[in-house]
Amino acid sequence: MYKFLEYGVYGASILLILIGLYAVLTKKSLIKIVIGLSIIDGGIHLLLITIGYLRQGTAPIFSPGFENAAAKMVDPVPQALVLTAIVIGFGVTAVALSLVIRLYRHHRTLQIDEIKSLKW
Amino acid sequence: MVGSPVLLIAVPLLAAFVIPLIGMIWKELVRIVPGLVLAYMLVLSVTLLVEVNQNGTIVETIAGWKAPWGINLVYSNLTGLLATIITTLGFLVWMFSYRFKRNVDFEPAKKYFIFLMMLVAGATGIVITGDIFNQFVFIEITGISAYALTAFYTGRNSAEAAFKYLMMGSLASSFLLIAIAIIYSQLGTLNMAEIASKMHTMDPVFKVIALIFFITGIGIEAEIFPLNGWAPDAYTEAPGPIGAAFAGVVVKAGIYAVIRMVFTLFDIPAAHDFLITIGLITLIVAESTALRQEKLKRMLAYSSIGQMGLVLVAFGIGTHAGVFAALFLMLNHAVIKPLLFFSGSYLVFNSKEKRISEVNGLGKFMPYTAGLFALGSFAIVGLPPFAGFWSKLSVLTAAADEGLLLVIALVLIVSVIEIVYYFRVVNRIFFQEYNKEESVVPHKPRFNAIIAMTVLAILILVIGFYPDAVTGMLHSASSDLLDKSGYIDNVLQVGQSLIR
Amino acid sequence: MNTIILIFIIFLAGAILTFLASNIKGLLKEVLFLASVIVPVVMFFTGVKAGDSFNFHLAGFAFQWEITPLGYLFALIVTGLGVMAAIYAVSAMQKTKNLGLFYFNFILSIMSMLGILFSRDLVSFFIFWEIMTWSSYLMVVYQGKDVQKVGIKYFIFSAIGAYAMLMAIVMVYSLTGSMMIDKMIQSYAGFAFNMQIIIPILFLIGFGVKSAMMPLHVWAPGAYSHSPMAFTSLFSGALSKMGIYGMVIVMAGMIAYFPEGHWFRIVIAWLGGITAVGGTLWAIAQDDAKKLLAYSSVAQLGYIIVGVGIGTPLAMLAALFMAVMHALFKGTLFMAVGAIEKQTGTSNFTEVTGLIRKMPLTFLASLMGIIALAGIPPLGGFVGKWMLYESLIGSDHYLLVIVIFFSSTAAFLYCYKFLFGFFLGQEEKEWEHVKEAPVLMVIPMIILAGGTFLLGTFPGLVIKPISAGLEQLGYAATQGKYWEMSMLFNEWGDQVVLEPILYAIIAVFAFFLVFLLIKNHKNTRYVSTKDISTSGEVPKEHENLTFIQNFFQPFLRAVEPLMKRQIDFYYNGFGKGIEALFDFTRRIYTGNGQTYALYAIIFVVIFLLLKTTLFGI
Repeated sequence: MYKFLEYGVYGASILLILIGLYAVLTKKSLIKIVIGLSIIDGGIHLLLITIGYLRQGTAPIFSPGFENAAAKMVDPVPQALVLTAIVIGFGVTAVALSLVIRLYRHHRTLQIDEIKSLKW
Repeated sequence: MVGSPVLLIAVPLLAAFVIPLIGMIWKELVRIVPGLVLAYMLVLSVTLLVEVNQNGTIVETIAGWKAPWGINLVYSNLTGLLATIITTLGFLVWMFSYRFKRNVDFEPAKKYFIFLMMLVAGATGIVITGDIFNQFVFIEITGISAYALTAFYTGRNSAEAAFKYLMMGSLASSFLLIAIAIIYSQLGTLNMAEIASKMHTMDPVFKVIALIFFITGIGIEAEIFPLNGWAPDAYTEAPGPIGAAFAGVVVKAGIYAVIRMVFTLFDIPAAHDFLITIGLITLIVAESTALRQEKLKRMLAYSSIGQMGLVLVAFGIGTHAGVFAALFLMLNHAVIKPLLFFSGSYLVFNSKEKRISEVNGLGKFMPYTAGLFALGSFAIVGLPPFAGFWSKLSVLTAAADEGLLLVIALVLIVSVIEIVYYFRVVNRIFFQEYNKEESVVPHKPRFNAIIAMTVLAILILVIGFYPDAVTGMLHSASSDLLDKSGYIDNVLQVGQSLIR
Repeated sequence: MNTIILIFIIFLAGAILTFLASNIKGLLKEVLFLASVIVPVVMFFTGVKAGDSFNFHLAGFAFQWEITPLGYLFALIVTGLGVMAAIYAVSAMQKTKNLGLFYFNFILSIMSMLGILFSRDLVSFFIFWEIMTWSSYLMVVYQGKDVQKVGIKYFIFSAIGAYAMLMAIVMVYSLTGSMMIDKMIQSYAGFAFNMQIIIPILFLIGFGVKSAMMPLHVWAPGAYSHSPMAFTSLFSGALSKMGIYGMVIVMAGMIAYFPEGHWFRIVIAWLGGITAVGGTLWAIAQDDAKKLLAYSSVAQLGYIIVGVGIGTPLAMLAALFMAVMHALFKGTLFMAVGAIEKQTGTSNFTEVTGLIRKMPLTFLASLMGIIALAGIPPLGGFVGKWMLYESLIGSDHYLLVIVIFFSSTAAFLYCYKFLFGFFLGQEEKEWEHVKEAPVLMVIPMIILAGGTFLLGTFPGLVIKPISAGLEQLGYAATQGKYWEMSMLFNEWGDQVVLEPILYAIIAVFAFFLVFLLIKNHKNTRYVSTKDISTSGEVPKEHENLTFIQNFFQPFLRAVEPLMKRQIDFYYNGFGKGIEALFDFTRRIYTGNGQTYALYAIIFVVIFLLLKTTLFGI
């Protein structure tokens, strides 16, 4: 059951990535594309966390009385990575949305296939 | 000793926070301080490079966490050379754009210079870091500043270019993260040296998948063929000097990341052939597209992409001569392309559309700028006695040593195309009549811009007439790249020696 | 300091100084220009002997600059013609805009040509070759006429040639590990067979472009006629000879490896023959003197290529002799056209007529140039052609003899057209004001024309350096001394001269010429074009009755099928096709961000699917 759940989480993260990709590739609205990018990010964060997951693990803190707990500790590195990645993803999303506002002011539309004055 | 490599990253990041505060004291400081920071980075990187040349690689551990646990910075002959190129260009871009547009007032200027500094700091970080996740963070820092700089002009269509760039950029970061996740799950480390030493234990299937994701992720920054759709738009719409920074700073860092993966991290020999193939495709598609461009900066952008393809081909050859040629190409491109962007942006300064047909007869009105553009064109197509010739010759000899006759032939055919489109522009500037209705109103460059361009022009001539001025550095850098075990030892032993 | 490097430094510094001085009023720039051409040339003749060398290392390649006997011969062409053209240019280019650029490129061209002759290694050979290419390119576009077509075409062909050569160079480097020309020729015999074929062909493309060999000649007419005439004399006279020089030094050693009569040599010789015929026919059809001379240059270079291709010692001797002669007479003729163009404003035969009384000295120079071109004794062209025929017959290329004979006979037509169109015929009112060209333009013409006469009567002056050069290349004379191979020559003391009977013929002709001139001088009546009546009608003022109009129409109609489609047509078609293709390729960049994202995904998916084939895992 737990095994299934573990694979399930992997599956869920990949599913999230694919959903995000679907949005990025097929949705015409800029906002939806930005949302899609965020979903991809979320999926990848989940994937990273899952790598460091340990069933019934403990927090990775050495404290008195838990000196031998290293074997049961959850790997802290992916968590640190995910925290950083979330911050970056937040920054990128903010920039993206501000650009969307600029684009809307300039083109009066959010349809990506109408915004292609730069080409060839 | 002026400082340690970490200051290359810490100082600009710190300055970025401080500058808005300083700006309240005196507005001009917002323009001056980034210049001082970039100048400091330039001095520091050069000093460190000299020291590395004498005493060997500097490995810096951050916050006492030794490799492979903590993040470490590796300042070797290769990374030092690239960091020096990047900081030099950063400084020149600052000097050029000190007063690029007089009508740019305090608020945008503040953002412009802060982001420029961040861009340079991020690119330097990509090059000198020894940790893949740290590299990812620096790629993002570079990326975000690049998006913002691309969208700098509100009047133009720059938001469109920036959005495309951002879309591709965040896809790139997703691919990178997936690759990092795969590597971490298999090897349990993020340190480049340790990954390299453990790579043979990794399941080959995961190894290839990780490599593909890495190359796709960084390939977007490095402008590899099907991934470079954003590049021409961004180069065109960004301010002129930022185009130079993209060509000289961002792409260089991207290429470095690709070759670090292929040469050091992954032990897949077939990846070299892959680089040659993808580089050739990039080269051919980009140059043939450049031939039919109507806008000057867009043409320069495609030419820049093509040059990066050639760099990848040269790296793909994989021998010492090949790596040497590739580094030489990168150096030359970092000197020549900014000159073209600088002078080109003054040639079409007053034009809205930036069309090539608008530069007719400008040579009469702005002979110096136009002359520098011509010098850059001569150099980039590889005419002797200018800089580009030696790198082209070394690429060809390296390819000939490996018997890649088809590669030589294709590179030379593409060079003919390159000559055609560059000389069309030079012809227009100098040998066609100025036409009041069509041509742009000439705009004389400012004094600081002239200095920045002159420095680059002198570099072109020096390398052209006396290539030995740089070949020594390039040779030691290329041996450094090929010395995989040396890299691993350097990084890991420093860690161990500190433990005991 | 070594004189050799000093020469180049003076050239370079002179070029830059002249360029910088070009905006200063007065004669400073002219003085600087002449000084920076003449000083190094004087230094070359006083300070450099065959065998002096200058060696250095740069960028990991060994460089060796040394003048060989053959190089010395070509250096005579380059420096002699260079100095003459420089003197001519000072006068001809007066009151031109942007003079600094002209002087700069002029000096650089001479420098690079000398550099080619000095280079004993392929890298510096290529470097100087490219400097020569771009400096001459800047001359072609200098006047701003048709730059995007003619200029770019010149550079495309030059670049194709240069890069073909560069490919050969790097292949040689990877095979021998050395860039030395001598080493390449020595180890040529040891190359694999496919390399033995590919490398000379690549070199041949490189040199063929510069010497305007037939399928690669299309740049020549436009480039020759669009650059300033002061430079074209050097362009056609000396610059195109660099292709011949390259063929001789690089190919001679290689081709000599093939036995005489090997298909490769026959192909080169026939390409030369076709070039000669094609160039001549096209020259006849031209109405513009510059174009006519340009095509004629193509044809003349064809003869030289035939000689190099046949490759027997006598043929080589003939080819090199003709190369010297061609430099002299083509230099003269281009200068004459330049003078006419400067004085009248046009170089079209159908407009200008009857200049003989206005510009008698120019006429004299052109006459001698034309006689030399046509190969009539006593001027030098005759000696060269005679030797070529002799060598062709001697090596049993009878078909080629016919081709060459046809071409040089047909050449009389355009020779006549040139002379008649400009100088003879009735005078027109329009050109009454025309005066003789300035003295500085006339003197170089006359000197060069005198050179053709001198070499025609005393060919030994050039034959000796040529034979020294050939000996150094490893050619052995078939019978004793080189000049004994031809029945034309005779030894007189230690001089090589023509057979006495020829001198007698020359004297007789000269006598008759002088006699006729004096006798007819008094009773000539000058009429203008319009001073006639045709079928009882008096021609109107604006009618163009110049005799040269529709000249040789019957002949041209006869050869029309041959000339219907210029090869240029196919090149242009090819270029258009390429551009259309690239217009299609650039549509890959659709401008839609989503498409780009899709490309990235496709990229990943393809490589994930193909990972086994691509990475072997």
